[in-house]
Amino acid sequence: MEKRRIVEELYAIVGRDWVIADPDELTVYECDAMTFLERTAPDIVVLPSNTEQVVEVVKLCDRERLPFLPRGAGTGLSGGAIAVAGGVIIGLNRMNRILDIDLANQRAVVEPGVVNLALTQAVQEHRHYFAPDPASQAASSIGGNVAENAGGPHCLKYGTTTTHILGLEVVLASGEIVQFGGTTLDCPGYDLTGLFTGSEGTLGIATKVTVRLMRQAEAVKTLLASFRAIDTASTVVSEIIATGIIPSAMEMMDRHIIGALEEWLHIGYPEGAGAVLLIELDGPAAEIEAQAKQIEQICVRHGALDLRVARDEQERALLWRGRKGAVAAVGRITHEFYLQDGVVPRTTLPQVLREVEAIAERNAFVIANVFHAGDGNLHPLICFDSRKEGELQRAIAAGAEIMRLCLSVGGSITGEHGIGLEKIDFIPLMYSPDDLEAMQRVRLAFDPLLRCNPGKLLPTTKSCSETNVAYRPHRVEREGLAQRI
Amino acid sequence: MNSKRLADRLARIVGADHVLAADSCVPYTVDDRIPTAVAFPGDAQELSEVMKLASSDGLSVIPWGSGTTIGLGGIPTRVDLAVVLTRLNRIIDHEPGDLTATFQAGIPLCDVQASLHRSGQFLPFDPAHCDRRTIGGILATNSSGPSRHRYGTARDLVIGIRVVHADGTITKGGAKVVKSVSGYDMNKLYVGSLGTLGIILEATFKLHPLPAVERTWIALFQAGEGATRALARILHATVVCTRIELLSSGAARSIGRQVGCQFPEGTAALALSVGGVPEAVDAQIAAIRQFCRQEGAAAEFLVEDRTQDSLWKAVCNFSSVTGDGRYQVTLKASVLPTHVVDTIHYGETLAGRLGLESAAISEAGCGIVRLYWTGAPGLAANDPISIAKGIEDLRDQVVRHGGSLVILSAPAAIKAAVDVWGPVGNALSLMRELKRRFDPNGLLNPGRFVGGI
Repeated sequence: MEKRRIVEELYAIVGRDWVIADPDELTVYECDAMTFLERTAPDIVVLPSNTEQVVEVVKLCDRERLPFLPRGAGTGLSGGAIAVAGGVIIGLNRMNRILDIDLANQRAVVEPGVVNLALTQAVQEHRHYFAPDPASQAASSIGGNVAENAGGPHCLKYGTTTTHILGLEVVLASGEIVQFGGTTLDCPGYDLTGLFTGSEGTLGIATKVTVRLMRQAEAVKTLLASFRAIDTASTVVSEIIATGIIPSAMEMMDRHIIGALEEWLHIGYPEGAGAVLLIELDGPAAEIEAQAKQIEQICVRHGALDLRVARDEQERALLWRGRKGAVAAVGRITHEFYLQDGVVPRTTLPQVLREVEAIAERNAFVIANVFHAGDGNLHPLICFDSRKEGELQRAIAAGAEIMRLCLSVGGSITGEHGIGLEKIDFIPLMYSPDDLEAMQRVRLAFDPLLRCNPGKLLPTTKSCSETNVAYRPHRVEREGLAQRI
Repeated sequence: MNSKRLADRLARIVGADHVLAADSCVPYTVDDRIPTAVAFPGDAQELSEVMKLASSDGLSVIPWGSGTTIGLGGIPTRVDLAVVLTRLNRIIDHEPGDLTATFQAGIPLCDVQASLHRSGQFLPFDPAHCDRRTIGGILATNSSGPSRHRYGTARDLVIGIRVVHADGTITKGGAKVVKSVSGYDMNKLYVGSLGTLGIILEATFKLHPLPAVERTWIALFQAGEGATRALARILHATVVCTRIELLSSGAARSIGRQVGCQFPEGTAALALSVGGVPEAVDAQIAAIRQFCRQEGAAAEFLVEDRTQDSLWKAVCNFSSVTGDGRYQVTLKASVLPTHVVDTIHYGETLAGRLGLESAAISEAGCGIVRLYWTGAPGLAANDPISIAKGIEDLRDQVVRHGGSLVILSAPAAIKAAVDVWGPVGNALSLMRELKRRFDPNGLLNPGRFVGGI
């Protein structure tokens, strides 16, 4: 009855076609790209087409004390767009207009639903592009990239999304519209643009995003080197950086991935390759020529089995083909996988990868690795089969072991997927209660009633005195793998 | 509170040698306000204890690095205690293979660079007075210089941070790895917050390798339009400049004198540096040179080695057009790159109308314009109001085009007559709420940040 009334009100705001309340249709919104951990449908999905409608919807949620969460393309990998406590999902895909492109100043203003790649496509004839390039860039939205501070292979040189966001229009949980940052670089006041970026939809809804565009480099060079052991490839990564070269990307794949790719795409990686390193340089032609030579020498010195250099765009695409298909290829060797996301200092890569292998052996799992080696950003794919009793639980436990490993060498439990729902119970491993309390102050300043994407990013305490959100045990907690602080 | 009594209590935390009281506090004056006591904590624990004392007694605290940028910010509403961080000056960690390093806040930037240079690396910061600035001060003010064109500012380079809060609690944000999205990006909140949310204790940075070689090209233009066109072409070409500075004729003349070059009267200068492997640097300088010639450069110079070092030092440390005995107003406008030349022109015209000498230096690719207005001491005392009006006039121009204008330093009489920060927009109440949550009693740098925060 109550829901009926709210749905009617939402019809009045966005139109009948843009409200989803039917339980069957809502199943589409049960999860994001983190499909196996948790599934909860929202009560209602609403698809506004402009900022004013977002404001009206948020004000309605405020009045009715309904939790809500913004959602882009749903490509997130940490369950950040799962409606933990029911409520309203505000889907922003219809807000997909590029509002302004100012090439003279290398800026653009876009709505949050603009697909990452679409922005680059809109400016590429003028030799510009939008630098953040998450693997999902053909589907993920800029608003989602902002919410997750998305990374990607090329953020080694160009920084993650936060480096490329200059300003935001945000609808707060109260329904108030606020402007953060601007089109110029140094805006007086606290850096709310930087604070909001990566806040995983917990501080409000971005309804306009001012981004920085970049000029395409004069030249690009892509190299693929194969090594017998992943240790050697990891050493090569550190040595390249220590030489003073910052490639635009340095991506690594291990023997499991190589095997799966060979079986599928027949790429022709050399016999006995235990690791493949994909290195891309961009910049002035003379510079990358010189750097490529240095890199080749480093690879040869470390006994590369094979070294290929792309001669044209077509060959470049070929070298990237394996990397881009890597995660999909793992589907050929396992029923399911749990894609972890941890970061370690580059120099610890050989040691950490050995320990990841040991975790795999101890748990009798295959753990395949494809990752952003230049950043030390690991993506272990823990292969499991949930049809077998207890395997999902063991896979999650292995993931937890990897997170602890990353922290033990001074790393982070997530480099680009975020905390979301997946890691909410693991964030206390990285931050003390005082650290988390400081973050909670931020959240309460923006959203004192915790209406925005509740139950994400920061653990709610069991007492929940100030939060108004029902305490709800996480799956890992129910299964005895972790405990709430 | 009585200065001596406060100093005694502080001495119990930091030791008697590390406290100043009464007249000895005068060098730590901010906008004519003298602190009651000055403390120099020696480690994180001592700083935390000092904050606990301040918090329990409701004392306001001014965090202090080298003091070079203490002129930034509104006139403080209260000054009880200055907390100087120069004893927190350690390199905590540097891992060359990871290109990361962690420093305590009070370490001078020059010590940081000297140490990193030994590994062929550096922290790409070159704010004004960079031979004296401390890391913490650079972060708290998000100060930057010409190198931001290629490398960004502290905001882009801090990956981890430790902070002492108003109540003495120590917390951290970020990590010692170049990529992390675990929780809110607290680094961004503290960088540029002028110590109003907490005192930065230490920070971890992404470093950069030193380029193999670096060369600088200077082109002089008789008319502003030529420089504007050359600038636009360079910004949209594939050359990767480390620094792009546009110097007004006043600035060019003064800097030319400092580095021993005679720049003709009335010419604006474009100074560009390129770093990297020698063959690439040569090719890019050649491209830049061609753009400048085609757009009518009147004269050009290639500078290298020590002349280049002293040139960039003069640009970074540019502060005085004339010399001693005069007061100065330093303004920073942040505008769109296409609006840089107009901003310089408008700023200089205004200064002329006010009877002030002026010079302008601009990180043109980033849209940052620094204006230096210099006048006789008597004038400031007599007529701060008309200068304040002039600043407001310039600010109106800048804000109308989507930018902002901040007073970096000015005599207190001028600061009393015009808002140092200018309008912040409709997020001010949110900023106030953040301040309230982090520093409920308003002890940290009260009154000096935007909107009187």
